[in-house]
Amino acid sequence: MLLVTIRTAIIFIVLLVIMRLMGKRQIGEMQPFELVITLLIAELACIPMADVSIPLLYGIVAVVTIFVLHEIMTLLDLKIKPLKSLISGKPSVVINKNGIDDYQLKRNNLDVSDLIESLRSAGYFSLDSIDYALYEANGTFSALPKQDYEQTQNSLPLVIIDNGNYDSKNLAILGLGREYFDDLLAQKGIKNIKKVLVLTADGTGKIYLQVKNEKFQTFTVEYPGGKVW
Amino acid sequence: MVKSLISIFVTLALLAGLALFEGIYVDRQFTQFGTELETLIDKTEAETANVEDAKAVRESWESKKEHLHVWIPHNDISRIDYYMSETVRLIAEQNYSLALSKLEVLTHLTKCLPDTYLPALENIM
Repeated sequence: MLLVTIRTAIIFIVLLVIMRLMGKRQIGEMQPFELVITLLIAELACIPMADVSIPLLYGIVAVVTIFVLHEIMTLLDLKIKPLKSLISGKPSVVINKNGIDDYQLKRNNLDVSDLIESLRSAGYFSLDSIDYALYEANGTFSALPKQDYEQTQNSLPLVIIDNGNYDSKNLAILGLGREYFDDLLAQKGIKNIKKVLVLTADGTGKIYLQVKNEKFQTFTVEYPGGKVW
Repeated sequence: MVKSLISIFVTLALLAGLALFEGIYVDRQFTQFGTELETLIDKTEAETANVEDAKAVRESWESKKEHLHVWIPHNDISRIDYYMSETVRLIAEQNYSLALSKLEVLTHLTKCLPDTYLPALENIM
């Protein structure tokens, strides 16, 4: 028991020194390679800590090697621009003036629901309240709102059609059938629902519609019987 | 940048030095132990080995393994401990043929173990 305690204390001190040497970025927002390094370090440190049959030096050397690799990657990341995007990736603009960029979403293994979730986390509830939105290389989400975006956020929009599929749960909340939106799409000249990237509807009757590979459009409708929620 | 480069080169130099020292030190310890085993094998084959000879080889191994624990997995050391203890007992009972088979295993381990820590492709994979 005492042996494990001493080994753990030694590994702890070595890890603490290494993490301090790696800098503050390692603790906060991490680039992909930094995340890999952090995961590896945790695993490498645990093995010799718990398994007394492995020399402690094996764990320390592995952690120190990871530190050297981190320093090399950081140098490449900071000093050689083409390698920076290769190592850390680059930001992806997922919303622009034309609306959602479906290609960028797919490239990052995301869908419209993920994007809307990120928007809500950032404090933007309506897709038309922002001009630009992007996922940074470290995975954080940034958005540039429209000048008067607060006026566009007076009701919570619900996703009715997500990538060509109706969201039955939200349809139930809205209290409207698919037929209503099929008619609405037909009025806009859209016969195939599969062409719709996203359609949201809020409580005031504002509809945000984006057909795949086309610019988004917003319009207001009056729900049957003056429905609100 | 200079600070980073210095830390990279200093750490790499330290790691390389440590690896080099480990290679030389482990190899030297096993070579010495191998030589002692060869002498014991010769005596056992001639059936002149006694328990004191076997114990002397074991004591030599005990002093070496104290430092080897820092460099190699403890399980590898335990394997040698196991066969060494058996050898001492078999020689004490003058069971030379069985003692020789144990010594054969020890000689093989002594030759093979240092190679398993070398940066060879088969060890890396």
